Amino acid sequence: MQLTLAYHPVTSIRFGAKLALDGAALTVDQEELRALVLEDPLIEAVDFVIAAPGDSLRAGPIFDIVEPRAKAPGGSPDWPGILGAPQTAGSGTTHVLRGATVTAVREDSSGDSRGATGYILEMSGAPAAGSPYGKLCHLIVVPHSQPNIAAAARQRAYRLAQLKIAVRLAQAAFSVAVASSEVFDNSDAEARPGLPRIAYIGQIFSRQRKPQADEHILYGADTDGMLPTLLHPNEWLDGALVPSYHASIGGAETYFYQNHPVTLELYRRHRAGEINFVGSVATIASANNFDRERNTRFAAHLAKWALRADGAVLTKFGGGVPHTDLSETARLLETMGVKTAVQVTDAARDHKVESALLFNFPEVDAIVCIGGNDTQWKLPQVERVIAANSGLAEILAGPLDIESHNVIGVANQQGASRLRSVVY
Amino acid sequence: MRVVHYLNQFFGGLGGEEHAGSGLEARDGAVGPGKLLEQLLGADCQVVTTLVCGDNYAVENQEAVTAAVLEKVRAAQADLFVAGPCFMAGRYGMAAGALCAAVQSKLNIPAVTAMAGENPGADLYREFLYIVDSGDNGAKMREVLARMADLAQKLLRHETIGSPKDEGYLSRGLIRDEFVERTSGQRLVDMIVRKVTGEAFDTEMRPTQFAPVPKPAAIADLTKAKFLLVTDGGLVPVGNPDKIQGSAATRWGVYSIKNCQGLDGKDYEISHGGYDPQFVRQDPDRLVPLDVMRDLEREGVIGSLHNEFISTSGLSNPLSNTRRMGREMAAKAKELGIDAIILTST
Repeated sequence: MQLTLAYHPVTSIRFGAKLALDGAALTVDQEELRALVLEDPLIEAVDFVIAAPGDSLRAGPIFDIVEPRAKAPGGSPDWPGILGAPQTAGSGTTHVLRGATVTAVREDSSGDSRGATGYILEMSGAPAAGSPYGKLCHLIVVPHSQPNIAAAARQRAYRLAQLKIAVRLAQAAFSVAVASSEVFDNSDAEARPGLPRIAYIGQIFSRQRKPQADEHILYGADTDGMLPTLLHPNEWLDGALVPSYHASIGGAETYFYQNHPVTLELYRRHRAGEINFVGSVATIASANNFDRERNTRFAAHLAKWALRADGAVLTKFGGGVPHTDLSETARLLETMGVKTAVQVTDAARDHKVESALLFNFPEVDAIVCIGGNDTQWKLPQVERVIAANSGLAEILAGPLDIESHNVIGVANQQGASRLRSVVY
Repeated sequence: MRVVHYLNQFFGGLGGEEHAGSGLEARDGAVGPGKLLEQLLGADCQVVTTLVCGDNYAVENQEAVTAAVLEKVRAAQADLFVAGPCFMAGRYGMAAGALCAAVQSKLNIPAVTAMAGENPGADLYREFLYIVDSGDNGAKMREVLARMADLAQKLLRHETIGSPKDEGYLSRGLIRDEFVERTSGQRLVDMIVRKVTGEAFDTEMRPTQFAPVPKPAAIADLTKAKFLLVTDGGLVPVGNPDKIQGSAATRWGVYSIKNCQGLDGKDYEISHGGYDPQFVRQDPDRLVPLDVMRDLEREGVIGSLHNEFISTSGLSNPLSNTRRMGREMAAKAKELGIDAIILTST
């Protein structure tokens, strides 16, 4: 399977009469996008706002962030299973508006462990510097859906609107010369014996929450009842996956499936001739021990016997419970002779090492730890607060004390975070 | 900068073990290793007072010695307090640790000591202090004092203190955040490449080893036992009267179930953001199994059920909270004469 990402840098977004990519300036036609969004009767109105790095601007609660990408004809489709038939993602050419995003806000705060603000996007100051999203140009989509519809239906509408816009924007690049491109193909892995065979095992959901019945996660499937499954690395990058609606168990955005840091780094090492990147497993964190035993064994066996891995890297999705599945999968792999490195989030709200890890297996000894418990910010009032209604705007107005976990991207669990826990 | 230095009887020049009972005395200027320390700290630092105390005296009269040292350090208008190095001397290490911790917290000036990692003072005070790792070899005095002086200078200048490895202090077992150059994904892949190729790698976190909790003796006669229900699933009466936090809770509550045969969802809410609460909302007995406990009580399988249950939220709760709350709950259970606790989690 070969995927070519055709990059078109974007350094500014502006509104205009017609969608166009002129050099690194993207012009978007609000009326065209509005018509696209309002195809869905669940959405009654929509506003668009442009945010650039350094702007005195705060938006939230964020639903998701998507990079504008469009598939050139002849390859796999755009967002299979969500915008079209669930064909296999990850082949052909995908045009990428690098530096731009389509960022959607929610109309209600989740009110769970993410707190009243939910995830916010902050475009200036220390939080912007600490998040990869602070450096991007955002087209913010502010949906106004029908009142009295179910939360799941509302979120499904956001997802469809956001992905449709992201595809439409990137189609502007079809007629423009490609600035640079990158090919993703690991088919030579079997032809290079002697290099360590490395696999990726990534959780894509956590049963801490039940998925919504019609929630799109993997090729549009809600993952209910799913067993760990093999995915080609290109499928992660090219539209097979989106994160859950449940913001409280997040740490994942569509943007970092498209730009999946673990997959990209494994590909880089593969190209450098240091490893053979042999494939990946998508798995689920369980809510009970029976499921856990089944899922962790399936995931470990796929890596060992289907991918014949010498080593595996593992990441989790969500909060505390997924550490259990992550570490048990790693432990099983180690007992089968597959070496592992795992990525966790710091659980020590008291800043003490003894509280940091939720497992204690001597074999699981290579641990990357994302921080966050020690980083809070005082957010000032900003010039523009972007929210779907006045109540949310008031919550976000500031001055506001905020945990780093609530600034989208800072403690990302797909491998994009630069915030590290340091033991001293 | 004015420095006060603490030494035991041996390094203070009084003599060996036979002088371990000597009381606290203050001398002007630097004594023994303090002279080298003063030199290493640089021209702007002066050891104004040296405090010398026998090891036995210091440990047996810790409260009085601490109070006296605080007074003398305050009177000396010190900017810095240094104790030791203590190497493997256990009583010396315990005194140095206690004094540094007290000076630091009460007088708000930096305090530095040094001892071996195996010194009992290290385990007691490493969390609160920067303790330079002296090793157990007293011949390395100069090297150890140099590291103490470096660390002290950084503390005086309010500079960021680097890692235990770089600065030479004993890990405090604490965590802080740092924004680093490489993403977590890059670090993760680097770690596995190193591990599979047999190169050294630095894990970013290590598990803590905990002593096993011994299994209590079985209950001899269930039909006479008094039971208590405890949950960390965050079930609280509507309105959350004790304001139990949904995450990293520091409080727990006791709620009456007197004359109740089961729990009704409309009377309760859930203060816990870490699980899908819809099923417990429908029927709180799924979390706090009052209904079946009443059956067992009626059938005479158990003696009785205490007419209150205890609740807190276990979500993201660090051990420093849960250990304390666990002790408080255990004390409450003892006071109530409880024989058995059923602890339900989520």
